[in-house]
Amino acid sequence: MKKQVDKYQQISVAWRFYVVVALIVLVYAGLLARSAYIQIVEPDMLKKQGDMRSLRTTAHTVQRGSIVDRNGRELAISVPVETVWADPKIVMENKALEMKKHWQALADVLGRDVNKLTARIIKNPRKRFVYVERKVSPAMANYIKELKIPGVHLRKESKRYYPSGESSAHVVGFTNVDDKGIEGVERVYDQLLTGVDGNKKYRKDAKGRKIEILSEKTSTQPKDITLSIDQRIQAIAYKELKGAVKAFKATSGSVVVTNVNTGEILALVNSPSFNPNNRRNTAIHRFRNRAITDFYEPGSTLKPLTALTALEFGSAKANSIIDTNPGWMRLGGRRVSDPINRGKLSITDILVHSSNMGTTKLALSVPKEYLLDKFFDAGFGEETGIGLVGESSGIMHDRQRWSKFELATLSWGHGVASTPLQLARFYSTLANGGVKKPLTIIKNGTLDTLPIADERIFSRQSSQEIVEMLEDVVNDHTPNAKVDGYRVGGKTGTAIKAFAGGYGNDYVGLFAGMAPISNPEIVVVVVINEPGGDLYHGGEVASPVFSRVMKGALRVLNIAPDAKRVAENQADSNKKTLNKTNIKKEQADV
Amino acid sequence: MTLPAEIWYDIQRHIFIYFLLLLVVLSAFSVIYFTHLNRQTTSSLEVLLTERDELDIEWRNLLLEQSSLAEHSTIESKAEKLLQMKRPNVNSEIIIK
Repeated sequence: MKKQVDKYQQISVAWRFYVVVALIVLVYAGLLARSAYIQIVEPDMLKKQGDMRSLRTTAHTVQRGSIVDRNGRELAISVPVETVWADPKIVMENKALEMKKHWQALADVLGRDVNKLTARIIKNPRKRFVYVERKVSPAMANYIKELKIPGVHLRKESKRYYPSGESSAHVVGFTNVDDKGIEGVERVYDQLLTGVDGNKKYRKDAKGRKIEILSEKTSTQPKDITLSIDQRIQAIAYKELKGAVKAFKATSGSVVVTNVNTGEILALVNSPSFNPNNRRNTAIHRFRNRAITDFYEPGSTLKPLTALTALEFGSAKANSIIDTNPGWMRLGGRRVSDPINRGKLSITDILVHSSNMGTTKLALSVPKEYLLDKFFDAGFGEETGIGLVGESSGIMHDRQRWSKFELATLSWGHGVASTPLQLARFYSTLANGGVKKPLTIIKNGTLDTLPIADERIFSRQSSQEIVEMLEDVVNDHTPNAKVDGYRVGGKTGTAIKAFAGGYGNDYVGLFAGMAPISNPEIVVVVVINEPGGDLYHGGEVASPVFSRVMKGALRVLNIAPDAKRVAENQADSNKKTLNKTNIKKEQADV
Repeated sequence: MTLPAEIWYDIQRHIFIYFLLLLVVLSAFSVIYFTHLNRQTTSSLEVLLTERDELDIEWRNLLLEQSSLAEHSTIESKAEKLLQMKRPNVNSEIIIK
């Protein structure tokens, strides 16, 4: 029995054993084959599936750099905003339109009509992309996100704001839809203002946390641009200019304010201007930065240059007397005349009365080449170095033949055309004791640009003499231009506008001047183009603007009054009360 | 209960291998632990970075708000209208040096 069992067992064990072994081997071989297949022959599919579930890439968008004024006030700033878009196909597939309340809420928050909104989206149900609203605020975007309407999505975009609005629109310029600068500083420094976007490839876990950064392309931050503009002065200048252009029914106007010592432009405004935050339906001519693109004959504002040239050459001294009798003369068949015979005039008188006879005699007292050289040296016919797009260099003919009459017209600022900026540059040179500096729109020391060397073009003494004469011009002849408490110097100009073939009936009123005369700091140039009312003379239309802008600028820059009258008053009131002094002190601190 | 002598003998003979085995296990667990730690740190770093970006956006919006509220001319007109302030004229100005 036992033997039988053993035999039976033996047979059965051997048979079953092999079957089991074979099965197990088969199972493992199958597993091995499968894993080999997955691992070696076709690993890509599973890798792809895994990556689809865990691998993500985010873009790190860099905002465009800011443009700030010299005190750090923002003139242009980029803010990320969200754009709402819809995928009509998904909207239709999910029957999202049945969520009436949600659509109503969406329309309400966007301030739209719900029927028009939905009609726009289902107009073409096979489309995959329709803008619902561009550039909405983050708060609005969150609300829309919470509505969770299938097929309505958000996309990040960047919006450029110009907080200073109209007043700085021309200088700062603007960008197009793609955030590229197309005007003004935005365009010139586009490369510096544009950063490079980075991105990040990472693995996320089931809860959406980033657990492994696989690769990272670091973004490059853009540079901020600091302008030399002082927005406070800019705002004052724009307000005054806009008022004057409106009051005198002028076509346009420009004001330039410069810092004499550094060549920095403190304000540069034009009227009419535009709203850079909403440029829809704006006439093209409003975009023009007239202070640098448009040139006018500067008229009598150039007479100081003629006088200065004569002083420099030595053909006249500051105390010379010029005989303008009989008040007119003929030059090559053309007539030069003053309104009345003013007789013998000092150089100061010539400037005060703006005598054409006087400047003609001064101009003809120096050699032709010398006179022309000084006009070129003063920067007429060349760019000012500001580097903005569209700058014109005016008209200053470089030719061999100049008739005496042409030289005479040049002496009172005709036959030459300059932009308001060029005129500001000449007056800055004059106020700076004859040292010509390139004008700049960028605050000194903020960008590593190569400094252009200063150039002495007039002697300190003659420049000083002319500056003091200009003070007399304001005191005796242009009371409109005075600023209480300060010694101010300047010169009016009125030019008849030239067009192809002659002169018309339109005028340009100009005023250029500087203050304080004791140590000039600021130059202000005002140009009022084609005043349409009864007043058109530079002394009537431009000098009141000059006075107010100068007053504001001196106040903002905290420049001490230098007029004598003030010093006396000061002594008087100092005696009065101590109490009062404290109050003023606080104000001075502010 | 003591282990049989031959097992002891076996352990003693292969003590070095057992030691290595222990190290392998330890290192395996430390890899797991530090990977976990790394992931946690990465994720909290990313959270902070996101927070920074959001703060940057908020800062930009606040700048905008500030510049519109602190506009020079707005303040001037408010000072004149609401507080009845006015600019001192030349004669009432005292300069302290």
